[in-house]
Amino acid sequence: MDLDTLSARLSTLEQAGLDAIRAASSPEALEAVQVAYLGRRGELKTVLGGIGALPAPDRPQVGAIGNAVREALEAALEIRRRELQTAALDARLARETVDVTLPGRPFRSGSLHPLIETNREIARIFGQFGFVVYEGPEVESDARNFQALNIPPDHPARDLWDTLYVDVPGYLLRTHTSPGQIHVMQQTAPPIRALLPGRCFRYEAVDASHGFEFFQVEGLMVDEGTTMADLRGLLDAFAQAMFGRGRPTRFRPGYYPFTEPSVAFDVQCVVCNGVGCPSCKRTGWMTILGAGMVHPVVLRNGGLDPERYQGFAFGLGTDRIAILRYGIDDIRMFLENDLRFLEQFS
Amino acid sequence: MRVPLSWLRDYVDVDVSPEALAERLTLLGMEVQGIEHRGADWQRIVVGELLTVEPHPGSDHLLVTTVRTSPQEPVLTVLTGASNVAAGQHVPVAVPGAVLPGGRRIEVTRMAGRESQGMLCSGDELGLTTDADGILILPADAPVGVAMTDLFGDVVLDIDVKPNRGDALSLIGLAREVAAATGARVRWPEIVLGESEPPTESHVSVEVEDAVLCPRFVARYVGGVRVGPSSLRVQARLTAAGVRPVSNVVDASNYVMLELGKPTHTFDADRITDGRIVVRLARPGERLETLDHVLRDLTPETLLIADSAGPLSIAGVMGGASSEVGAATTAVVIESAVFDPVTIRRAAHHHALRSEASLRFEKGQESRLARIGANRVAQLIQAWAGGQIAAGCADTNPVEPEPSRLPFRPWRVSSLLGADVPVAEMRALLQRVEVQTEPAGRGDVVPVAAGFPGVVLGAADAARALVAIVPPHRRDLEIEADVTEEVARVMGYDRVPGRLPETPMPEYRPDPRRTVDAARDALAGRGLDEVVTHALVGPVDHERLGMPADDPATIRVTNPLSIDHSQVRRSLLPGLVRVLVENERQRRSDVSLFEVGHVHRLVDGVPAERPMLGVLLGGDQSGAAWNQAARPADLWEVRGLVMALCARVGAAPPSAARPDSFGPFEHPGRTAVLHVEVDGGACELGRAFELHPSYLEAVEARSGHVAVALLDLDVLQSAIPAVRRYVPFPRVPAVERDLAIVVGDGTLAGDVDRVIRESTAPLLRGLRLFDVYAGAPLAPGERSLAFRLTLQAAERTLTDEEIDATVARVVDALAARLGARIRS
Repeated sequence: MDLDTLSARLSTLEQAGLDAIRAASSPEALEAVQVAYLGRRGELKTVLGGIGALPAPDRPQVGAIGNAVREALEAALEIRRRELQTAALDARLARETVDVTLPGRPFRSGSLHPLIETNREIARIFGQFGFVVYEGPEVESDARNFQALNIPPDHPARDLWDTLYVDVPGYLLRTHTSPGQIHVMQQTAPPIRALLPGRCFRYEAVDASHGFEFFQVEGLMVDEGTTMADLRGLLDAFAQAMFGRGRPTRFRPGYYPFTEPSVAFDVQCVVCNGVGCPSCKRTGWMTILGAGMVHPVVLRNGGLDPERYQGFAFGLGTDRIAILRYGIDDIRMFLENDLRFLEQFS
Repeated sequence: MRVPLSWLRDYVDVDVSPEALAERLTLLGMEVQGIEHRGADWQRIVVGELLTVEPHPGSDHLLVTTVRTSPQEPVLTVLTGASNVAAGQHVPVAVPGAVLPGGRRIEVTRMAGRESQGMLCSGDELGLTTDADGILILPADAPVGVAMTDLFGDVVLDIDVKPNRGDALSLIGLAREVAAATGARVRWPEIVLGESEPPTESHVSVEVEDAVLCPRFVARYVGGVRVGPSSLRVQARLTAAGVRPVSNVVDASNYVMLELGKPTHTFDADRITDGRIVVRLARPGERLETLDHVLRDLTPETLLIADSAGPLSIAGVMGGASSEVGAATTAVVIESAVFDPVTIRRAAHHHALRSEASLRFEKGQESRLARIGANRVAQLIQAWAGGQIAAGCADTNPVEPEPSRLPFRPWRVSSLLGADVPVAEMRALLQRVEVQTEPAGRGDVVPVAAGFPGVVLGAADAARALVAIVPPHRRDLEIEADVTEEVARVMGYDRVPGRLPETPMPEYRPDPRRTVDAARDALAGRGLDEVVTHALVGPVDHERLGMPADDPATIRVTNPLSIDHSQVRRSLLPGLVRVLVENERQRRSDVSLFEVGHVHRLVDGVPAERPMLGVLLGGDQSGAAWNQAARPADLWEVRGLVMALCARVGAAPPSAARPDSFGPFEHPGRTAVLHVEVDGGACELGRAFELHPSYLEAVEARSGHVAVALLDLDVLQSAIPAVRRYVPFPRVPAVERDLAIVVGDGTLAGDVDRVIRESTAPLLRGLRLFDVYAGAPLAPGERSLAFRLTLQAAERTLTDEEIDATVARVVDALAARLGARIRS
């Protein structure tokens, strides 16, 4: 074995190795090529095993050539490995390609009922001004629904509430949330800022703007020195929050037996912005709630001294607010629960 | 109340447009709910003069007339079927091209071979009177050719007079309001009577049995009347105000009711036995045929006007047929009385006869008006129907109350309003509603709350306080706050400034809706739609739940609008099921709903209500799609939902058990009762179940499987710990062991779960059932329940010996307590 022969064999080995690397078509095949040429018992080791037969001065030269061959093969292996990885990844990506315009997996999107959400929004707005939520019963006593509110039996003002009565003596289905005023005053000492949302009932034929079940929110504020100006300020703030900044409001006399003075609160028609349209009966205004200063008799019935305390109450129709808020034209939609309606509030 | 402006102007000057007047009245508290322009819909209808009236040669019921409508226009030939026309009369003529109310167009037509160039109009066709039988005969001075709109058009305001202002249910009352708004003066009608002897008492006497029920009764007598129709002007006014013209005598009574707010009644004097009137309560068994020709049984609470022969009328409500003024009447007795409002209201309700008169009596009547009203009716009857007014009147209580004194504190008025109103201005404002003021005196009592003692003024306060002198017609002004409202409304509510309160904030109070809203958000977030259903349901709804129609715990509506809404719901289920069924009819097969609402029942005779959450799942729960199969609703779906819900609101997951009994709506094999831990004890949260197939069939549901949960929200709330604490989790590795446990018939997964938990504490960190198997090689009735136990100690790694010992303990306990074995 001489130097030239060994060099030639190394050269041949290199060429064969490079060919094998190029021919390897999978990571496994490439691994086999690596073992075959560079492994512990690989071709390179075998060829270089002949180095001992060379004269000592030639050995470094052969060693250098052998190292060059190793490096060349290792470089080629690395390149081929990357090529194969890229190809495999490309193949996978191609395999996994889908029609991206197919619809996404349907997650059901539920909805919250517009009446209850309107109540929540009302509570959120008044909550900013310190009003806290109380609840009163739906089956209410005549005493609280009417008598404590300064409406004796056979009072003509009872005509304002067409009442549904129940077969329990002394009870009825509450016609408004106002009896909540009595509940709150009897359980809480002033300062009082209370909200009472709830379901109410009236003996009323059903049409696009009336139902025999509907929702109201009662508000009550009582303290030393609570004034009608406070009432107006709060109602203005509410109207701005609910119907947008700068919406004009109107404060005018109303009538309720349990408030004195009594107030009707109007906002400029949200449909026509005050020009006059069928929605506002061409007045440019829409009444959104009734209010007033709590009647001294009602304060008394709530256990408070009207010489010391004064306050206001208001009652707003959730249905009416919701109708204006969402542009709904038929109140019956609220209790029909057609999914085509409800799903619009998801 | 309907107020024709032309009539209102008799009593007050109105020099603003109807729209401007409407706004000012509204801002004064007399809300104008509508403005009707009467006659605005009469197009090309003019006054014509009948030149000739002749029979139609080809018809026995038509007349051929010639009508002049203007000197320039050619004379029109107009046919008419009415028989009350004669040459020389002035009548309304709809000329070709005219439009009548309702949009009816009038053109040239042919009738029985003759051409008709227009139409002669009745009062009813124009809406001017209610007479539809003949052509409207206009006054002879109605100028020919002038548009009817210009002569008889009017503006009618529809004013919502509140129940406390009975005095304003009248033209004079509303004229007062106009005067308060504009500063104009009110003109009372001049009431001057030409009286004749013999005096009234020789014709009629009045005896009142109970002066509480009838504080005053004034009677007058008018003899020699000729009953006939009222003038066009009176008929048009009454019609515009919504009252049907009847005859000159009856119209006079109605006219005064609208003018002064004083309901009166006229009797045919010859039908009152001996002219002796008695006001008394009805006697048992008495009956009366009222003006509407209904024979009515009279209850002993009904106040009557009677004579010795029996009832003549129901006081304040409706007259009787026997004493009705008719064409043959020649003498009239006028009743102008004050009755107890509650008695009248009850009678009107009892007989379902709410009339314009009873509405006014219910609100209370001013005593003075009894006298004035009687005089005014007598005056108008004489003016319209002729006759002689007998001198004087029968009057059971001629003493008329003085104006009342109402002491008030101007500074309290300002402090309630939150607006400083100078005292001088306050006095001027009150004067505009005819309330005078004078200085108060020491010892004057300020009425603060009616029915409670007032505030006695000391010397210092008395020096600053005032007394309002309230005229008798303002029966609504009783307390200091009433004066405040009066000041505010005349001043204008817009003078009350708006500002945010500066008074102290209330104490903190937890929001009772917090948990409910968290639950709602969680359910909506999981794809359910929130519904609001009726709290009133029908008996059949409850019967299907196993509650009979006469169930003593059910609260029933005594005056329901319909049988379908006649009981207060005891469960949310019927409402939820109705929504399911209605939406299934809209071809929806993916209904998932929840509702938060109260359910009601009687407990010891007292209504009790509880807030509940109802969840209903029907049809596909997965949202089936191209890449996802449909998943029908079942018990486990709704139980999983309840678990997620409890986790969301911070309550521990409820345990499930098989209930002892079932409702007829519950699938007996698929109903679980759910318990949560409250204060260390188990408390029933509610039930989760699939609906019974028979129930689904009864309600006509399409879904074969519908899963429901009904949860008590108060219990859920009480299951939420007041504080949530972080629990440190072990840093050492956990060990998992799977056990396939074979159990026999009757052993529930929940039993196995409980035994595992009890026998592994405190090392058990997690327990999950991951497989259920039945079938070969297991014996029939056997099930294999595969559980994965996660075991872990707090601060150290468990040894193999500890783990093996724990598993062995579980296996032994299962074998001993449930007869279970491990599947190998």
